[in-house]
Amino acid sequence: MEEISLKAQQLFSIGNFNVTNGLFLTLIVSLILITFSIIIRSKVKLIPGKLQGAAEMGIEALLDLMKSTLGSMEAAEKYFPLIASIFIFILTSNLLGIFPGVGSLVLHEEGGGVVPLFRSPAADLNFTLAFAVISVIVTNIIGMVSVGLFAHLGKFFNFKGPIEFFIGILELISEIAKTISLTFRLFGNVFAGEVLLTIISFLVPYFVPLPFLFLEIFVGLIQAFIFAMITLVSISLHTAVHGEEHEH
Amino acid sequence: MENALLSQLGIDWKLFLSQAVNFGILLLVLTFFVYKPLIKVIKERNKKLEEGLEKAKEADIRLKEVDVIGKEKIKEAEATSVNIIKATENKAKVLEQELQKKSEEKQLQMQKDLEASYKKQKEQSEELVLKNALDLVRKTIIKTVELKPDAIDEALIKKAVESVKHE
Repeated sequence: MEEISLKAQQLFSIGNFNVTNGLFLTLIVSLILITFSIIIRSKVKLIPGKLQGAAEMGIEALLDLMKSTLGSMEAAEKYFPLIASIFIFILTSNLLGIFPGVGSLVLHEEGGGVVPLFRSPAADLNFTLAFAVISVIVTNIIGMVSVGLFAHLGKFFNFKGPIEFFIGILELISEIAKTISLTFRLFGNVFAGEVLLTIISFLVPYFVPLPFLFLEIFVGLIQAFIFAMITLVSISLHTAVHGEEHEH
Repeated sequence: MENALLSQLGIDWKLFLSQAVNFGILLLVLTFFVYKPLIKVIKERNKKLEEGLEKAKEADIRLKEVDVIGKEKIKEAEATSVNIIKATENKAKVLEQELQKKSEEKQLQMQKDLEASYKKQKEQSEELVLKNALDLVRKTIIKTVELKPDAIDEALIKKAVESVKHE
């Protein structure tokens, strides 16, 4: 059985920069998505083909969902690229991570050890942490732009009274906690799935891992959706003015 | 200690940054190559659909208006045709009466003409008969005189008449 490693393993180095198996698959996912983007862009027509039709269906469904959360189609269209990209990137990474054959390709090290060539990107904390940090920073920037710098910072640093001050500090802590929870929720689910599949495949290689594979597909989809939705709700909360928040 | 924990978890700021930059690039590519063109096309299509629906609604309203106008025109045409028929009937009646009157007058005139002609012919024929009778008498008398006047009797007159007739 392969050695289960908490962190992504190094494949090769480019100067000082170590390329890990997690980053390697992330780059492949990016290349796949960029290729699809170029194909879709070259085939965009008023009367859609199958690929464009499917893409449009997904876009419209997500836009409707975002409209119901943000309250207007204008806001939904404004923040759509961020939410959709988070969802698509995480979903593709999760699905590609459990793609049959991906886990089987290994590199034999000089010392006799074996390093998997690919690792599900979300099973690397750098990936999930990067997404979580991007999500939290971007949502706060959006908040600053839409309600104003001082109004936004006023949520965290409120000197109107001791209770308001304490609530502000809690808000600040909640942003940090959100980053950590986003990071470890995604990492935990995907990493646990990988470990589960590795162990099951080791114990009973045929047929038995199949239901677990379906479970991991479902988990991958749900986790991508959750990450995107948490980011969306954060945008919704940060763009709402104080008066509106109290009304809710 | 902090660094050791991060190292144990595999967190490396270079990898972290490369993941973030990678996502940033992908976000840009997806935005400009997929989202914007597709949203533009969706909007364009929705706009065309809305325009089509609006035009269909307008056409429906116009069709109803045309239908109402058509019905009104048919009603008007019916009323006009009824009036024309009535006027024609009245005219025909007047013409019929005029014709009847004229024919009666003509008939009367013809009757009068016929009567006059009959009368004239009757007079002419009477005159002719009278003239013929006078001629006959005159000739009979002349014949009688030529024959033996003392032997005038019935048979002789008859003979004279027969003779005149043959002449």
